Amino acid sequence: MRRTPIFLLSLGALIGSQPVFAVGTTAGTDIANSAQVDYEVAGTPVSQSSNILVVTVAEILDINVLLQSPIVPVTPGDANRSLLFTVTNTGNGTEDFTLAIDSALPGDDFDPAPATPSIFFDDDGSGDLSAGDTPYTAGVNDPQLAPDASVNILLVNDIPLGLVDGNLGFSELTATSLTGTGAPGDVFGGQGDLGTDAVVGANGGDYADTGTYILSNVSLSIVKSASVTDPFGGTEPVPGALIVYQIVVIASGSGTAINASFSDPIPPFTTYVAGSLTLNGGPLTDAPDADAGAFAGGAVTVSLGDLDSADGPQTIAFTVVIN
Amino acid sequence: MKTFNNKIIARSLGLLALFLMSFVATPQETGVIQIQTSADVEIIETDASGETVTRLEPASKVVPGDIVIYTVSFSNTGSEPAENVVITNPVPRHMEYVDGTAFGPGADISFSIDGGQSWGMPEELVVTAADGSERPAVASDYTDIRWILRNELQPGAQGFARFRTRLQ
Repeated sequence: MRRTPIFLLSLGALIGSQPVFAVGTTAGTDIANSAQVDYEVAGTPVSQSSNILVVTVAEILDINVLLQSPIVPVTPGDANRSLLFTVTNTGNGTEDFTLAIDSALPGDDFDPAPATPSIFFDDDGSGDLSAGDTPYTAGVNDPQLAPDASVNILLVNDIPLGLVDGNLGFSELTATSLTGTGAPGDVFGGQGDLGTDAVVGANGGDYADTGTYILSNVSLSIVKSASVTDPFGGTEPVPGALIVYQIVVIASGSGTAINASFSDPIPPFTTYVAGSLTLNGGPLTDAPDADAGAFAGGAVTVSLGDLDSADGPQTIAFTVVIN
Repeated sequence: MKTFNNKIIARSLGLLALFLMSFVATPQETGVIQIQTSADVEIIETDASGETVTRLEPASKVVPGDIVIYTVSFSNTGSEPAENVVITNPVPRHMEYVDGTAFGPGADISFSIDGGQSWGMPEELVVTAADGSERPAVASDYTDIRWILRNELQPGAQGFARFRTRLQ
């Protein structure tokens, strides 16, 4: 059954508000019942047992698919970006399931492009596509799950070019009981475990969940300004005058600039004023050591770390003297 | 004298037959009471006129969460009344008694939470945990159900006892 993400959300809320049925008695279990009657006839006690009635538990076909990944930030042109799902057999029999990907869903801004192959078993449990993960091929290595057993599945998509920051792309994993699907209560005679009947459960024998990619671009704007103070109290760029450079770095967009750093060579015919480097008003040492700043090889360098829009403007300042 | 002997022989043969029958799994044919148990599920349907119709159907496709209705039918097929008739039925394995569903015309119903060693009304039953703490028993604690008939079961009379369980 295909479900739109919106419907999935409401379904999820519904399930969350109701007790989730743990897997019950295993399919094929024989449950015997016998009653006993005790009485007296003319003062003589008699004890008798009834027939032994056996009810055999049928197999219920039920499956759950649950997205494990948060919304995955991506950039245009990314390859092999994975979404992690857990597929759980919520029925009471051992069942094979087929898996399918759908990345052409309505309601999003772009369609992720399924990689080839696009469904993997997360063999190493890393939650991400790794070299050792086994690709899934329908009909070849359909997962077989005992009652209550689960398997971690990765959907792998490439991200198209030409997208705008904040764009969303959906990708859906569907798991389907190999015995069959249908309306809850539909019966597949004799196709359950140990020859029992298989009964379609509340989820209809298949289930899907949807993961989301978000375009998460970041751009850094850098504005540099200079002010000159000459030895005579004026602002003439004459030998001996000091130039204070101020650089403001601002991250914008929804993403994060990883390990951002700023580097600026000292202009020709000037000399760096030792100890003049600051970040957001705080002094930095010139040595390339533990703090964020350094002056080496004729350039100042400041490490800004991971920078996003929430960090606000980062102000760097240093001073040179005109030779 | 001869008649008397024949009677004894006949009775002995009858007892022998009953004794043998108990080995071929037809114990309900001993004594004067015949007792039979059945398991059904409730099917609720809407008929052509839009009326909701409830019927019982033998429990053949039971899955976890389903309600199974057990019915114990008994009748006195002998010629003498049966006195002090007590029906007991354990709650079958993997099944959980559904609170308030035990039913039996003309019978006092009690429950056990210890496999039939002691009996009581629901409000009298207390579960003692391993640490000695106590709590009132709930329906899922019941292990056995007992029906004590208030009156003799006369020849030709029949009765039934019924309870519902939920498959775990």
